[in-house]
Amino acid sequence: MTTTDAPPAGPAGRSTGRRSRRLGARGRAVLLVLPALVLVVTVVGAALGSALLLALGLAPLVGEPALSLDGWREVAPDLGTSIRISLGIAAASTAIAAFVGLCIALAATAAVRRSRLLGTLASLTIPIPHLVGAAAIGLLLADAGFLSRLLGVDPPSWPPLVGGRLWVAVVAEYAWKESAFVALVVIGVLSSRAASYGETAALLGAGRWARLRYVTLPLAAPALGASAAVSFVYTLGSYEVAALLGRPFPEPLPVLAFRLFTSIDLTARSQAAAVAVTTALLGLVVVLLSLRALRRLAAEQ
Amino acid sequence: MTAVEEVRARPGSDRTVRVASRTGRTLLAVWLVLPVVPLLLWAFADRWTFPALLPQEWGTRGLDEALAAGAGGAFAHSTVLGAAVALLATPLGAMAGRALTSWQLPGSTAVLAVLMSPLVLPPFAVALGLDVLLLRLRVPAAAGVVMLLVVAALPYTTVVMRAAYAAHDRGFEDEARTLGASAWQTVFHVQLPLLAPALAGAAFLAFLVGWSDYIVTVLVGGGQLTTLPVLVAAAASATGSDAQVAVLSLAAILPPVVLLIVVGTLGRKGRR
Repeated sequence: MTTTDAPPAGPAGRSTGRRSRRLGARGRAVLLVLPALVLVVTVVGAALGSALLLALGLAPLVGEPALSLDGWREVAPDLGTSIRISLGIAAASTAIAAFVGLCIALAATAAVRRSRLLGTLASLTIPIPHLVGAAAIGLLLADAGFLSRLLGVDPPSWPPLVGGRLWVAVVAEYAWKESAFVALVVIGVLSSRAASYGETAALLGAGRWARLRYVTLPLAAPALGASAAVSFVYTLGSYEVAALLGRPFPEPLPVLAFRLFTSIDLTARSQAAAVAVTTALLGLVVVLLSLRALRRLAAEQ
Repeated sequence: MTAVEEVRARPGSDRTVRVASRTGRTLLAVWLVLPVVPLLLWAFADRWTFPALLPQEWGTRGLDEALAAGAGGAFAHSTVLGAAVALLATPLGAMAGRALTSWQLPGSTAVLAVLMSPLVLPPFAVALGLDVLLLRLRVPAAAGVVMLLVVAALPYTTVVMRAAYAAHDRGFEDEARTLGASAWQTVFHVQLPLLAPALAGAAFLAFLVGWSDYIVTVLVGGGQLTTLPVLVAAAASATGSDAQVAVLSLAAILPPVVLLIVVGTLGRKGRR
């Protein structure tokens, strides 16, 4: 990388010293990144700041602003249950998505009998909106749905997968969509690097399982961990799938916040904001924990 | 590689492995495809009662119902929303990607972290906080939706363009400048054509963010903006219109899939 962004060293350029040319390139880089940076900082900062003010009672829609934790206090009985449900759904669907996604990536990048079909199918699954995925899973898993017809089970004896106690349809939708995401991220890493390492290991006498255990999995681990973390945080903060396929009560965090925010009771907005701030903080904790885990993984390797 | 394997593996175990791997691959393909199958069947089913495995009567009832529910207008709204997000987020992401690969940006790790932050923030939390503020500032709902979705799309466009600029050979630009091209000529006649496949990929991802969004459209749009996902949600939460749900869902899947194939072939051409 040479002094790239600097103006060409014409007669005028040559007379200005090396220092000012450097500053010019630096200034240009700052100018290039500024529009995106200002937009993100403004929108995210304003949104989270406004949510925090609302939750703390400092920006009420009705009445006088006064600092209080009432938003959290009033929603506290539901909040614990909602946190547990949201974490449970995210953990279950991410675990399945990571496992299935890894299997798809392994099959799509295998040295022998590589499956190009699986890679194509995974990339075609990506552009399907989650809401549409939820509608599709509903048609698949409901009683009298496609799966019950395939298996020949009558609606009365079909387990309540949609809207049931175990959130099966919700977990299935996230696991399905996110497995494709995990697969594509891991395929991206494995397709560029695994072949040569695998061949070297094979030539050195490593068997199929040894290559998987000591070459492919360590290569895939950082991408797998990062994509699983992104998918976990996404599931934690996503509204529409649980709203469509879940039970009416108890609710995951986004559904709880949405119901409170759109209720006719305007004072419930501070509770909705409290739930939103709690979810964002929960996501932040998960991100920091996974960053630490990924860093430790990198250090071990 | 296969030679090495054949030497090492006993014939019996190799056959077991082959059968197991074929079964596994089939199961994985079924896992990816199965959820879409009922959509494809229901979309053209006029009558499909339990326990029939296939519709008893085929037809266009779902399509008629979807059109009556306003699918045409919603399709147009979704397209405009996706295009607006792509049009704004792609150049912003490209500029950020260029700056992040220039080695000249102070605090580039922190800048990247800030630009990535929308990826891990719950969209409903951001939308909910901003909604109150936008109402107070009297920002039009549609503008608020576009702004929020551009922020949500920026992590994708920035990552794609950062990777593209990292692999981009600046020698071509230097050469154009040496031959007398102006800075803008270099950007439009050298840099952008070379990066066209990456730009198409970034724009596709940004389009997808606008096209698939539901919660931001509902919370910030305040019911004024009826997109395809809004219609799908309305139809899916009502009972007894499975054919309509399927048609609306397919309408929401097909354009991005076609775009993906177009972008994919563009990318392959670009690499050649």
